Amino acid sequence: MADDIVLDVRDLRVNFGPVRAVDGVSLAISRGPFGVALVGESGSGKTTVGRALLRLVPAAGGTIAFEGQDVLALRGPQLRAYRRAVQIVFQDADNSLDPRMRIGATIGEVLAAHGLADHGLAGRGLAGRGLAGRGLAGHRKAGRGAVGDQVAALLAEAALDPALASRYPHQLSGGQRQRVAIARALAVGPRLLILDEPTSALDVTAQARILALVRRLRDERQLACLLITHNLAIIPGLCEQMVVLYLGRVAEAGPAGELLARPAHPYTLALRSAVPEVDAAARRSRIILPGDTPHAATLPPGCPFHPRCPLVVEICRTSVPQPRTVAPGRQVACHRADEVLSGLRPPGAPAQLAGEP
Amino acid sequence: MKLEIRDLRVSFGGHPVASVPELAVDGGEIVGLAGESGSGKSMTILAVLGLAQTAGATVTGSVRLDGQELAGLSGVRLRAIRGARIAAIFQSPSLAFNPVFRVGAIVSRALRQHGLSAAQARERADAAMRSVLLSPDLLGRYPAQLSGGQLQRVAIALALALRAEVLLADEPTSALDVTVQAEVLELLRELRDSRGMAVLFVSHDLAVIAELCDRVAVMRAGQVVEQGPTGQVLAAPRHDYTRELLAAVPRLRN
Amino acid sequence: MTALLRKSPLITAGGVIALLIVLVALAAPLIAPYPPDAIHPEMALQAPSLHHLFGTDQVGRDVFSRVIYGARVSPLVALLVLLFACAVGIPLGVLAGYFGGAGDEVIMRVTDVFLAFPSLLLALAFAAVLPPSLTSLTIAITITWWPWYARLARGQAASVAGRPYVEACRALGIPSWRILLRHVLPNSVTPVIVQVSLDFGGVILTASALSFLGLGAQDPTPDWGLMVAEGENYFTTQWWLVTFPGLAILVTALAFTLLGDGLRDVLDPRRVVLR
Repeated sequence: MADDIVLDVRDLRVNFGPVRAVDGVSLAISRGPFGVALVGESGSGKTTVGRALLRLVPAAGGTIAFEGQDVLALRGPQLRAYRRAVQIVFQDADNSLDPRMRIGATIGEVLAAHGLADHGLAGRGLAGRGLAGRGLAGHRKAGRGAVGDQVAALLAEAALDPALASRYPHQLSGGQRQRVAIARALAVGPRLLILDEPTSALDVTAQARILALVRRLRDERQLACLLITHNLAIIPGLCEQMVVLYLGRVAEAGPAGELLARPAHPYTLALRSAVPEVDAAARRSRIILPGDTPHAATLPPGCPFHPRCPLVVEICRTSVPQPRTVAPGRQVACHRADEVLSGLRPPGAPAQLAGEP
Repeated sequence: MKLEIRDLRVSFGGHPVASVPELAVDGGEIVGLAGESGSGKSMTILAVLGLAQTAGATVTGSVRLDGQELAGLSGVRLRAIRGARIAAIFQSPSLAFNPVFRVGAIVSRALRQHGLSAAQARERADAAMRSVLLSPDLLGRYPAQLSGGQLQRVAIALALALRAEVLLADEPTSALDVTVQAEVLELLRELRDSRGMAVLFVSHDLAVIAELCDRVAVMRAGQVVEQGPTGQVLAAPRHDYTRELLAAVPRLRN
Repeated sequence: MTALLRKSPLITAGGVIALLIVLVALAAPLIAPYPPDAIHPEMALQAPSLHHLFGTDQVGRDVFSRVIYGARVSPLVALLVLLFACAVGIPLGVLAGYFGGAGDEVIMRVTDVFLAFPSLLLALAFAAVLPPSLTSLTIAITITWWPWYARLARGQAASVAGRPYVEACRALGIPSWRILLRHVLPNSVTPVIVQVSLDFGGVILTASALSFLGLGAQDPTPDWGLMVAEGENYFTTQWWLVTFPGLAILVTALAFTLLGDGLRDVLDPRRVVLR
């Protein structure tokens, strides 16, 4: 099992000044095809975790190990190599593409920066990947044809018309821009793909297409995926594991299907009950959480969730619950986790979530 | 019917952007306007408010409030109705509040604009805040000090304070966390039930519409393709586009 | 690009006039009816006529010819000043804005010092220590002008550096120099370009002010600003001495401003302005 783990995060901490945005998060992602969902609302720190994994923000503590290597210690060419193996698709597709560059140039740039641009030498029978792919050809003017083919292939893989390479981002729809971002991330041949709210800014039909695309790519390219989202509904079908964050800490973690069917943390319970459902049969009665998500700057003592928790008891106010195993493969940070797992529900909520087996 | 829209057509420079042959909302019901971006649903809201015309659109057709025709009303008359009888909340609540003013100042200004004295305005505002489960103290804060969910509830409180009979909501929960969204939706349900408000709810999220709306009209590229009771439309859609939308909604249970 | 120009008559007009001015400057010897420094005291201060379209000045030189030759002087000075100011200001500003930190602080404090003084005064100070000539003028004004562009570029670069697509580039492992060159620079340059086109007239005026004080162009150079200065005392009676050079400055500044406006629209593929 340990060999299978491609990304191992232990006790990650990220601070923004005095604010503990990420306060001891651990998670593990297995070799692809595999998916882990990082779930949370605003202030949960999920986006920060993603950025920390890519070394876009400095980590204040903890370890990140990718295929055995200490990610936080990487420098120079090793860091560049890491950035080929681990890639990210940002939430804001509208702004993650340079508005002044044509799509083809945007993708081509990534290829060139990593010396992956094919300058047509391979086609002429000159050596194999060794010469054509690496730095030797890196400084020469890119043979339009060969790099163009690479770009076209990537666009096609992302279900886009290769002719779009000559367009500017603003000439594409939101869904198409997001797919370009995916194509760009794939250009370097990553083994782990981080998707930060890939569908939030999109229409529902574009959303469905993107999710289908990610599913396909995951299997075709044997990708390990980290899906950062607040939308629980997109998790099934894509992620095997799920980690729920609240105010920078892990509330619970385990197999996605399990967590969604039998939550062990009151927050997961509330989160799940809040998801609107189209099918009348799937609807359940709401657990309404009082108040809004507090800011990470003003962490209450004890359990960070206790001010809003419908199942709060005295101990929650004073003692911070540590993650512990309540069932095989399931970690929960809640004093009443066993009770919740066994069916404890907030007063007023039905004993069973409607539609539960 | 509280709000009746008939043959509403909105166009910009000759290009039609929204066309609604018939849509009505009664007091005590929530009607949904579902569609993706570019479907014309937001334009419809703006046209009802008389704001599309201000933006340069050509609007024809009839919009009646309690039988009174709104289309073609003068600016002054329209302003009196806007806010007092028809209120609107939008996706980005922070855009509705000038960041240099305290939230309470904005609310009371709106109330006094519609004829209330300062004392009356204060009273109504406080009561309205409590109705939306917010402490009246929050009125003393600046918009930046309130969360998205709180601001949205203040916007609803304002509609309540003004005793608005119709609430137009344009994607009010799209930018909110899902648990906060649940709260706001619950609030809207309460407004419908206890105050008999007529709510026109615009959203691209079919699941939210399914949960909240009694009736729904589906729009696509400026046209209404299907409408009827929510349960019926979603269980047995007649138009291909509705089917397409339904199929695209991610479901928690696979 | 031509399609865009065709859509807006103002920009086209500006571009055409700017082009005309450049052509006039280049073809001056062919167009001007008289040499610009030919003195004929007996013909001094003559009103505009068929022989002298713009009249003659206080030493009998043909104003029309001088205005034409002037197209070589003021705009050239302005061009050089702005070019050098950009060459110094933009790179410094972009580096400061993108990397921030100590370098940013240093560069910003230096620009602070320069910007604390009224530009004219500062240019005056520099020009005063140099032998009076057009070259000194150009150098002096450049020195006072670059901090503005450094500031502008720095502000833009800092904002661009925080944008998602730049962050995406870093995440993609694209090296900094490449990000700077291909992403930050092109996206930071637009406000500077607009400012440059707006500054054109301003530089010409500053140059004329300095020339007036004897620190720049010297007689008999047909600098428009100098001509205005020289004709100042005659304004109420021999209006043509001031009016025509003044108009030349106005038209030139306007043309280049419109051109700059158009340039900005062309450079920004997202903004299609329908006038």
